Formats: sequence, structure tokens, C-alpha cells
Amino acid sequence: MSIAVGVLFTVGVYLILSKSLLRIILGTSLLTHGVHMLLMTMSRLKTGAAPLLGHKAESYVDPLPQALILTSIVISFGVTSLFLVLAYKSYKKLKTDDMEALRGEEHE
Amino acid sequence: MSLLHVAVIIPFLFAAAVPFIAKLIRGIHAGWLVLPAPVILFVMFISRIDSVQNGELEHASIAWIPSLGIDFTVYLDGLGLLFALLISGIGALVVLYSIYYLDRRKEAISVFYTYLLLFMGAMLGVVLSDNIIVLYGFWELTSISSFLLIAFWHYKEKSKYGALKSMLITVFGGLAMLAGFVLLYVMTGTFSIREIIASAATMIDSKLFIPAMVLILLGAFTKSAQFPFHIWLPDAMEAPTPVSAYLHSATMVKAGIYLVARFSPVFAGEALWFWLVSACGMTTLIYGSYRALKQTDLKGMLAFSTVSQLGLVMSLLGLGSAAAFYDNAADSLFYTKATMAAIFHLINHAVFKGALFMVVGIIDHETGTRDIRRLGGLMTVMPITFTIALIGTFSMAGLPPFGGFLSKEMFFTAVLSITKGNMFNLETLGVLFPIVAWCASIFTFVYSMLLVFKTFTGKGKLEELSKKPHEAPIGMLLPPLVLASLAIVFGLFPNMLSYSLIEPSMAAIHPGLLQEGERFLVSIDFWHGWTMEIFMTMGVIAIGFILYRLHARSAALHSPLFTRVSLNGAYDGGIKLLDRGSRRLTNLYMTGSLRHYVIYIFVFLIAAVTITMSRESSLSFNFNDFAPISLYEALIIVVLLAAAIAVPFAQSRLLSIILTGAAGYMVTLFFVIFRAPDLALTQMIVETVSVALFLLCFYHLPKLKRENVKPRFKAVNLIVALCVGAVMTVVALAASSDRPFESIADYFVEESYNLAGGKNIVNVILVDFRGFDTMLEIVVLCIASFAIYSLIKLKLLEDEDEGTPLAKRKDIAGGLIELPRSNDVILRTMAKPASFIILTLSIYLFFAGHNNPGGGFIGGLMTAAALVLMSMAFGMNTVERLIPINFRVFTACGIMVAFLTGIGSFLFDVPFLTHAFGYFDLPLLGKTELATATLFDLGVYMNVVGITMTIITTIGRDK
Amino acid sequence: MNNLLVLPLLIPLVTAAVLLVFKEKIMLQRWISTFSILANIAVAGAIVAQVRNSGIQTLYMGGWLPPYGIVFVADMLAALLVLTTLVIGALCLFFAFSTIGKERERHYFYPFVQFLLAGVSGSFLTGDLFNLFVCFEVMLISSYALIVLGGTKDQLQETIKYMLVNILSSTLFVASVAYLYGATGTLNMAHLSERVAEAGQGGILNVIAILFMIVFSLKAGLFLFFWLPGSYRVPPAAIMALFGALLTKVGLYALIRTFTLIFYTDQAATHSWIGVMAGITMVLGAIGAVAYNDIRRIINYNVIISVGFIAFGLAAMSEDSLDGAVFYLLHDMLAKALLFLLGGIIMKLTGTHRLDEMGGLIKRYPVVSWMLFISALAIAGIPPLSGFAGKLLIIRGGFSEGNYVLGAISLASSLIVMYSLIRIFMRACWGEEKGLYAAEERDRKGDWLMALPAAALTVIVIAMGVGSEWVFGLVAEAGQTLIDPSIYVDAVLKE
Repeated sequence: MSIAVGVLFTVGVYLILSKSLLRIILGTSLLTHGVHMLLMTMSRLKTGAAPLLGHKAESYVDPLPQALILTSIVISFGVTSLFLVLAYKSYKKLKTDDMEALRGEEHE
Repeated sequence: MSLLHVAVIIPFLFAAAVPFIAKLIRGIHAGWLVLPAPVILFVMFISRIDSVQNGELEHASIAWIPSLGIDFTVYLDGLGLLFALLISGIGALVVLYSIYYLDRRKEAISVFYTYLLLFMGAMLGVVLSDNIIVLYGFWELTSISSFLLIAFWHYKEKSKYGALKSMLITVFGGLAMLAGFVLLYVMTGTFSIREIIASAATMIDSKLFIPAMVLILLGAFTKSAQFPFHIWLPDAMEAPTPVSAYLHSATMVKAGIYLVARFSPVFAGEALWFWLVSACGMTTLIYGSYRALKQTDLKGMLAFSTVSQLGLVMSLLGLGSAAAFYDNAADSLFYTKATMAAIFHLINHAVFKGALFMVVGIIDHETGTRDIRRLGGLMTVMPITFTIALIGTFSMAGLPPFGGFLSKEMFFTAVLSITKGNMFNLETLGVLFPIVAWCASIFTFVYSMLLVFKTFTGKGKLEELSKKPHEAPIGMLLPPLVLASLAIVFGLFPNMLSYSLIEPSMAAIHPGLLQEGERFLVSIDFWHGWTMEIFMTMGVIAIGFILYRLHARSAALHSPLFTRVSLNGAYDGGIKLLDRGSRRLTNLYMTGSLRHYVIYIFVFLIAAVTITMSRESSLSFNFNDFAPISLYEALIIVVLLAAAIAVPFAQSRLLSIILTGAAGYMVTLFFVIFRAPDLALTQMIVETVSVALFLLCFYHLPKLKRENVKPRFKAVNLIVALCVGAVMTVVALAASSDRPFESIADYFVEESYNLAGGKNIVNVILVDFRGFDTMLEIVVLCIASFAIYSLIKLKLLEDEDEGTPLAKRKDIAGGLIELPRSNDVILRTMAKPASFIILTLSIYLFFAGHNNPGGGFIGGLMTAAALVLMSMAFGMNTVERLIPINFRVFTACGIMVAFLTGIGSFLFDVPFLTHAFGYFDLPLLGKTELATATLFDLGVYMNVVGITMTIITTIGRDK
Repeated sequence: MNNLLVLPLLIPLVTAAVLLVFKEKIMLQRWISTFSILANIAVAGAIVAQVRNSGIQTLYMGGWLPPYGIVFVADMLAALLVLTTLVIGALCLFFAFSTIGKERERHYFYPFVQFLLAGVSGSFLTGDLFNLFVCFEVMLISSYALIVLGGTKDQLQETIKYMLVNILSSTLFVASVAYLYGATGTLNMAHLSERVAEAGQGGILNVIAILFMIVFSLKAGLFLFFWLPGSYRVPPAAIMALFGALLTKVGLYALIRTFTLIFYTDQAATHSWIGVMAGITMVLGAIGAVAYNDIRRIINYNVIISVGFIAFGLAAMSEDSLDGAVFYLLHDMLAKALLFLLGGIIMKLTGTHRLDEMGGLIKRYPVVSWMLFISALAIAGIPPLSGFAGKLLIIRGGFSEGNYVLGAISLASSLIVMYSLIRIFMRACWGEEKGLYAAEERDRKGDWLMALPAAALTVIVIAMGVGSEWVFGLVAEAGQTLIDPSIYVDAVLKE
């Protein structure tokens, strides 16, 4: 499990370090997946039934991380979509999605 | 609030008032309004002489920040009084002088006087306050007001240069001094000078003692222009001459002297103190006097002379500190002569240097130049000025019968007597003092002569001057006349000073040397026989005369010794280096490349975590906490990772997006396996929508070009990425290894039905236990949608990109003008029922939420999905005709509902978001629970629908 | 139970929701925002008073007792920060009225500002780690919206960087929360404090602490500030001021909170890191502050310096230094806001951000010039202005803790600060008249309106310095809870 998380992070970071803006964004969303799985890992994994009191079960999985993940999913959905639009907009304006070309005028 | 406080505050009051009054009374020169301030003060301080002489110490305190031990405490002892008299006395004369020097039509005089008064008040504050922090404050204020005064003519580059230079150096010193003060506090626990002096003995063996001393001396030396910090003083001469006369010769530059005198009771007796002060003083003395020889600008000459004279006083204080070394009074008193000389010369210098500056001011004013090479023969046109100059210079050169003569004699006495000393290994080095002193006095003699005779005697070149010189107005002559006559008086009757001022000051500098009732013997007699001193003086005159004759001829005397290396060069170089170097360095790492920044961050992350982990011994990793992985999971993991890893290799944009999506769906499956149905649902829908967004946005982006980059580039990325991955994994393993505590989650499991009336724990947590999070989470979504809207819609005029021809632009935006409107018949027929089903399903989910997987968020997304589907099938316009809502407003209403649900609890005076619920029978949904949570969920639902539609439509309609 | 606590968050949210509806009615929007923020200030003041009179205030969201529900906690630190935030917010808003421009106003500028304020206040007030993350997100996403509002080329490309860096730090944040939850099984800060102390910090907890340090340092611009100078330079002055004054400070607050409340037991492992980072930050910041000719950059690097300085106060971890950190934090928010506003005014008047293209303002704009001068002195920590007391406290605390190097660095850096800011004054206000205002004869009716907020801030800065004793009374109370976490813990977990 943790390994899987690790791999997701690796790939995500690798993508973020690449030049293409699209890749970078994809990288971030992979990272997000990684984090969510991490949260799952941190709860006691599947030792118990789904946290639905309907079905009688003597033990349930830790519901709290799930709640957190849900919140996090939603938030990152919002952020990602904004990021996407930003990327799209800046591509239209700046005519490139190569981040190395977008250094800006740091030097004077 | 005592009279002393008033004394300090008066100048500030005047400073505040003058500009306004000056506006009202246009008729007269603002100086007349200012003049009362110093006069009043002077009178007041004069009246204090007796009481101080009798050793009554007047002090008063106003609380400022008592909790930090900072109070505005003022007190008046001999030393303070001496300086206070200088400040107010010279101040009065300078103001009078300035009235004739500054033309009220041409100059911004009210500003000038504001600065001047600020300085006066600050300076008084320095010499009167007992609390060193307050002292520091006034100290910096003197630096600042000096900065403003030097740059009074701020359109001149040189003024600005000089101002900045002086400020940087003095403020630097001030900060060093502050550090020293804080160290003193750390040692003694007080900011009061008198208390510090009282507990001086306890500090000696603290390891902070020496650092504190050095830091405080830094402050003193920078302020008093001691070598090598003197460089700011000559450039400060850009200031109007009254300022030079007042700040830069009489008062401010003596603040350092004051500081040293004030703190000698603490530090005197330390060998380091003795050597630093006296040696630094001596160096400054000789260096300054030598440089003064070479100046052609009269003011420059005076500036360097001031530097050297300050050195003289400083060194005398150093020599005097030897007194503290002895414990038997006799030897001590022997050395206190130096201190006495210091004080006496301090006064003399203030007098004659003040006079000389004013003279130079007059010359400048009348002839339009200060260049010694262009001047000459002024004696005839301005006799009074000449007389004053003569007196001043002779006193400076140390010729009888002027005050300067006596103080120089005493100086010689001091340096001679120090050679007899047998501590601080003076036996060997002591002999240097007389020699240096003697040479320095020769130089002093020479430049004094140059100063007076080159300007006033010799063949005049008056006709070459810019304006026709004539004697100055009486108001301008009066102040220097007063000073000149004082120079004579002090020369003939030195003792009128010695008991009134010198003796009390010495008492302040050498406390505890005397028993009760004892007094320093300070009588100065004009003639004390054919002593060594007299012979030295004769030597000075003789050699000096020869050198004066040679001056014109020998280059060593009139042209600078080395032009290449100079301290000024060092300063300028330093500033340039600061500007250039700092930029180069900063640009080195602030490359503006996002990739670099990200790399910095990750590298730091890796480094920090690994270092910390390596430090920790007690790290245990567990691999058994997870149940044995079943086939499915293994499968999913493999697919997931495969998908993830494949992304970087994907060549086409579409493929990489889809792969990421795939990874997302795999995660969804994970959630299913790990008993998280809600997550699964949400994740699935979110994934779908975001993939749609991806495609929508990047429909027209260029093909992912194969990133043909150096392998190094890739290697770096790979290494960083791998390390990060590894770190995260290891930490994860370690974090989940030891679980000493029970999770708080169990509480939810037990209570969620009883207390919150919901069977679906996760949902209950979301809308109830942690409903607050959810509320904010939808706020985030909402902000995002509006951000997107304004990002796309808002086009500032100044920034219309006219770069691309219309056609091209359309082609970029092309596909996005509308969602690809499908003509596929099947889709269109399928769409209606499909979207209907989805809608009902979404509603079901919405209500089911509380007990089974589902909830407002999911429901909302479903609905939105349905709408999107329809608009795909029938085009947006159709949909908008069907559902005529402004989705942005809809969103706003959504979050409003959510807020109000929470606020509702205010009415019942229970905490925000407190829930209430009951059960009802609803048609076709059967027995349903309606909790405020449901209402809240409704808000969420509306919000989500609104948001999604806003996003999709805005992007879809972007033109 | 004290519902007052949620208002500083709720008022802006509701206001924003209302404003969203009135997109086109700009005057109405202005009135509503003004009114709401004034009300909000009143509330914040009330909270400060309550804390002063009856100790730490708490609100259990939905009535769920901690550690299970989300709890809002107002200790003196949080209360003061909220108050300061709102005051600054109000003044920036007022500044925006006359500078931000119709187009931005029409595109939800005011709602975004309200959302931002909500996020900031929430971050200060919340006592739940995950909720802190959520509040951060509210704040951040509104900051994204504001920083890119207008969509000029510069803005777009800098926003991408700004966003990505923040997304990363947020991801790390969640990860760290996950770890911490895994190790301690709770999210409530007070509860965490208990459990961490119980378990004895060390082992994995130190690692997690370091992760949190990195996350918050990223937000605060402590050592990991690379994103800051670029991105804070693109938006208009009113927004720049909001960011420079508030956002980095939220990060600092989070650092202070976590490392005095939760991870305070093993300072050798954690606070030494902070100390080192503080030092480097001050040095690099100082170097950057003199490097450029662009007034915006100079100011931004000054922000960085002060972040380092405050972090030094945290690292020293003595009562003096913590008091100092709080005091300086408050001062810095106000003074920096002032500086940004003045910078904005100057740039508007001269029509340029390059020092060498401006000059001579003092003749026609003496008030602005002198305000600039005063702010420079205040930021350099010259008494009796607001910067001094905090600076003295931090340095005193540092020295008595034996932190001589950092103390020296801070003093040196304050010299550089003075140099860099006085340079602005000399170039912009002295010398020949240069720049837009000199070229064309513009009507100066609106100018005083623009200068008013700055004037107000100047007054505050002076008053705060002269009245240091009074301010210190409050600050000391805040410092008390920092140096002795049990006060906070008991206040939250008391049944």
C-alpha cells in the first residue's frame, strides 16, 4: 500500500518537474490521488465493515479519514479545475505551455 | 514631568509649531521665532550650575514602557550639564547666525529650522536621559536629523551622497551600541545608566563584558568620526555652514565623546578599554591633522581638523581611564589630569571651531568660494572677520594666550605622565604617546596657519571672485565674535570654568575616586615654569613654521599621499559591491523558472526529513498492519501503478489525460474495496467531470511535443522524484507503525446514529460532526467557479492581446465556442431518458445520503452531469431555455441556504451549526428523516449544481 | 459556548454571498462591504475584550465536544491577529475604492476580498488541524482569484507559479495531517498537544513536525520564499497590500501555533531548524532588498526579512522572544500594509515602478513623502515607532538564550532594511521632479482620498509605538499562552 503511495508521489513529482503545463497539472492530480490513498492507509485498513450502521457489523473501518478524503477530493477538484482554466487561458494569451519559457522578467 | 523633561521637549514643541507660525507671520525670518528656544534653555541650564556643583543630582522619570524597563528618566549631573550648555549655547549663536546666512526668500527655511530643532531636542535627550534605550532612541534621532540637514539641498547629488553616507555609518554604530546595551541588560537586568554603573563590579568577569564594551565603543567611534569611521564627516560638509558649525563640530560629533565619558565608570580600568580609546584617539588625531594639511577647501580643512581634535579628546579620555586602575587616590588623581584636559579642550574646541566655521561661512557667503587657492588678501576688505579668524586659529594651534594653548599644555602633561605608568605594558609602548602628540600638534599648527594666512594675507585675487567681497553684516559677525572673545577669556581666566563645569563633570566620570567632601584639584594656572611642555610647544612652533614655509613646495605636504587606496574608495566600493553583487547573487537563484523553485522545495524536503530520521533512533517500521493483499487488490494496484507510470511516457495529450483518468478510476475501485462507498461514488463522478474538463480545456492545445531535453534534465527530475516517493513511503510506514492511541473515530461509530440520527457515518461526519468543514469546502468550490468565471470573462482594456490575427484567435478558441454539439441521433434519443434517470437517481441519492451512500454533494454532481449530458445532446441554448436560471446566482443562493442553516442555531442560542432532526413520511420516498442536516445538504446540492454548470458553461461559451 | 467566535468568519462569507448576487451594482457592493467589515471589526474588538476579561473563548461547532467536533478557539494571539487583519482589510478596501478600477469591481473583486478575509480569520481561530487546512484553502483559492484578477500576461504566468507552489504545499499539508492522524489518532490541536506530550515527542513525531514546518514555511515564505517576490509583484497595489500584510503572516501564525502548542517538547530537533532557516531568510532577504531597482521587489524582500526575524523570535522560544514575536507580528502586518499602500500611491503618481524613473515627490506630495519616511523608520525599528518594542524583545530574548549570531544578523538586517527603504525615499521624494505626475498636469482631487488609508495606518503605527506599554499588556497575555500551552489545552478540553 505505502509502496503504491510512494509510486504515485514519484510519478506525480516527475510530471510536475517536466516542462509541459499539461503534464504538470496531471502530476498534481496524481499527487492528490497519492495523498488520498495515504489517508486511507493511515486509517486501519479494511479491518471491519463499511461505516454504514445499517448492516449490523461488530466493527467498522475508521470513517474519519474517509470524511477527510471526501473534503479533500472536493477541494482539490475545485482547485484543479481553476488551475486548468488558468493554464488554458494563459496558453491562449502567452501562446505557450512550456513553463521554462514563462520565467518572467526576473532580471532587470 | 519635571523641568528637565520640559527642557528636552521644548525644542520638539517649537519644531512642531514653527512651520505653521512661519506661514502665518510671513514678514519676518522664521529664525527669530526659533531663537527663543535655545536662549531659554541656556539660561535655564546656567541657573543649574550651582546646584550641580554642590553635587545635588536632579532627576525625574516618566513611565513609557515600564514592563520592558524603559522609562523616560532624565537627570542632570556635571557631564550632562556641560553638554547641555554647549548644545543650547552654541545652538543659540548658530540660530542667530543662520538668520543672516539663509535667505528666507530663496530657501525653505521653516523646514530647515524644524530639522535643526529636532536635532537640538534629540541631542539634549541623549545627554540628559538615564535610560539607555531612550538614549538610543535620541541617538538615532540625531543621526536622522543630521541626515535630513546634510541633504537640505537635496537636488544636489553630492548632498544626497553625503547624507546617505553619514546616516549609514552612524546608524550602523547606533545598532552596534544597541546590541551592547542589550548585552548590558542581560548582565545587569536594568536599562538605567546609574544602576548599571552601580552594579559595574559584578559584570567584570561575565563573558559578555568585553563584547558589550566593544559594541558600545563602535557606537561612540562612528558618531565621533574616529578613524577609520571618520569618512562621513568631510562629506557631511555639504550641509549649510550653520549646520556644520553646530552638528558637525560642536555637538553631535561629541555625542561619542559623551558616551565614552558616560560609560568610563563601567569600563575604565580594563586594559582593552584604555588601549582602544586612547590608541584610536591618537591615530585619529595624527591622521586627521595630517589630512587637514592637504585640503584646499576651507570647510574640508576644518572637517579634518575637527576629526583630529575629536581624536585628541578621545585619547585623553582613554588616558584618564588609567586612573581607575589604581586603588590609592594619589596615583589615580595623577591620571585624572588627562580627563580634566579632555573636558577643558572639549570646551575650547567647541568655542574656536564654532567661530572658525562661522568665519568660513562668512567667506563663502561674501566671496562665493571656499577654495583656498582662489582666496587671499581678504584682510583688507573684512578686518573683523580676519581678527576672529586669527583668534580662532591661534587658539586651535595652541598659542598663548588663548584657551587652546592651555588645553594643549595639559594634553602634553597627560601624555608625558602616561609614560611613567607601569600597567597595561605602558613601559614599552607608553613612549609613543608623546611623540604622536607632538607631531600631531605640529601639523595642527601648520594647517591653522595655512587657514588664516592663505585666505586673508598675500596678494589678493579679489577681482577674479564671483562677487565683490565686503565685510559681513553685524548679525553674522556677532556670534563668532562672542565665541572668539570666549576663547580669550578661557585662555586668561581658565579657572572660571574649572570649578563650575570641569570639576563636576570629572566627578561624573570618576565616581568613587574621592571620599566624601573631597574635590578634584582642577585649578589651571597659566604659567607653570620651564617645564617639558613649554619646550615641546616651542618645538612645535619652530618646526611648524619651517613646514609652513615648505608647504607650497613639498608635495608630501600638500598633495594626497596615496590616491589609489583610500577609505572612501573602500566605502564606495562596498556600496557598489552591495548593489551589484547582491543583484548577481539574487538572480543566481531567483531564476524565475518554476522548475527550479519546485526542485529547491523538494530537495529541502528530502534533506530535512532524511536528516531528522537519521537522528531518530527509535523509528520502527511495520509491514504487518495491512491485511494480506487479495488478488483483486493486487490486480488493481498493478493496473493503477501501470497507468500512473505510463503517463510520463504518453506521447499524445489525449492518452496522458485518459491514463490519469484511469488511475483515478482505479483509486475509486480501491475505495470500494476499502469499504468506502461514499468515496467511491464521489471519486467516480469527480473523476468523470474533471476528465471532461481536461478534454474541454486542452481540446486545442498543441500536441504534446516530445520533450527533447538533455538526459541530465531528466535524470535530475527522476532522482528528485524517486527520493520524494521513497521519503513519503518510509514516513508512511513509520507513522503507521506504532499506534499508542485509540483513534477518536470510535466515538463517531458509536454516537452517529443516537446523536446525529444518521446511519451513514461518513455522511453524518460530513454534514454534522464536521459539517463546518463541508460548509467551507463548498465555499472553496464556489470561489473556484467564480474565479474561473472572472478569469475568462474579465479582459482589461490595456491588455487586449492584439498579437494574433482574428482568424488565428478564433481557431484557438474555436472548439470551445460551444460544447461539441452532437448530431448523433442515438445520443439525442438516449439523452432524454438517460438524463431523466440520472436526475431522479440524483434526487434519491440526495435524500438517501444520511443513511446510505450518497448525499447533497454527490446528488448535485449527478444532476449537473445530467444537465451537461443534455446540453451535449441538444446544445446549450436549448438547455438554457429549459432551465432559465443564472447558475451563478443559483450558487450564491446555495451557500446562502447552507449558512442560514447554521445561523439558525443562533436563534436557539446553541452553538453554530447545531443540528435538529425528526422523521416524516414523504410520498414515494417512504419514511424519511428530515434533519437540519438535510437542509444543509440542500444548500450543498444547489451549490454544486450551480458551480458545475457555471464552470462548464463559462468555459464552453468562451469566445 | 460563544457564537461570537464564528462571526469573523461568517460575516464575510454571508456578505460575499450577497455581493455575488449584485454583480453590476458597484456602489451597492462598496457600501455593503464597508458596512460588513466595520461590523466585523466591532465583533473582533468585542472578542479581544472578552478574552482580556474572561480568558480564552471557545466555540464547539454543532455543539460537538472536542476532540470529536471542530472547535474554534480565541486566545489573545488569535483575537489580536483577527482584529489587525480586519483593520488592514478595511483600509485596503477603502484604498481599492479609488484605485482598483471598474472592471475588476464588476468581476467579483469585493466578494473575493471578503472570502479572503474569511479564510484568514478562520485560520487564526480554528483549533482543529484539518479545519485549518480547509481555512487555508478558502484563503488560498480566493488569493488565486485575486492575484490573477485582470488576467494580464504577467499575472497569468506568475499565478501559475504561485498556484503550483501552493498546491504542492497543500498536498504536503494533507499528507502531514494523515501522518499525524496515523500516529496520534486525533485532529484537535489541544488534544494533539496532550497526546504528543504524552507519547514524548521524538521518533516519528519529529519527522512529522519537520513536515509541518516545511508546509507552513512555504506559506510563510520562511526560507522557501522563492515564489514570493515574483508573484506578489503582479496584482494592483490594494491586493498586494492585502497579500503582503496578511498571507505570509497566516503561515507564520500556523508555525507559531504548532510549534508552541504541539511540537514544543523536543526543541533541539525542531526549533533549531527554524532558527537556521530564520537566519538564512534574513540574509537572503536583506541581499534581495538592495538588489533591485523595482520598488515592488524591494518591498517584497522586506516582507521576507521580517518573516525571518519573527521566526527567530519563535526559534529562541523564550518568554521575551515570544512576546517580541507576537508584538512584531502585529506591527509588521500594519507597517507592511502601510508600505505597500505608499508604494502603490507612488507608482500611481509616477506611473512607474523603477526608482530611477521617479523623483521629487516631496515638493508636491510632502505628506506622502513623510509617511514613507516614517514607515521606513518604523520598519527599521527606530523608537518610538511601532517596530521597536518587538524588535528589542526578540533581540533581548535571543541574546539571553545565547543566540548571538541570529541577534547580530537581525540587527545587521535592520540596517539593510533602513538602507533599502531610505533609498526609495531619496530616489522618489528628493531631487528633480520625475515621472508621470511631473509630466502632465493631472487633477489632484482624488489623491487625498487615495492617501487617506495610508494616513490612518501611519497614525496607528505611531500610536502603537508610543503606546507600546498598553499594547504590550495584550501581547504579554498572548505570549503567556504560547510559553505555557497547558493554558490553551485546558481551556479547550475542559468539560
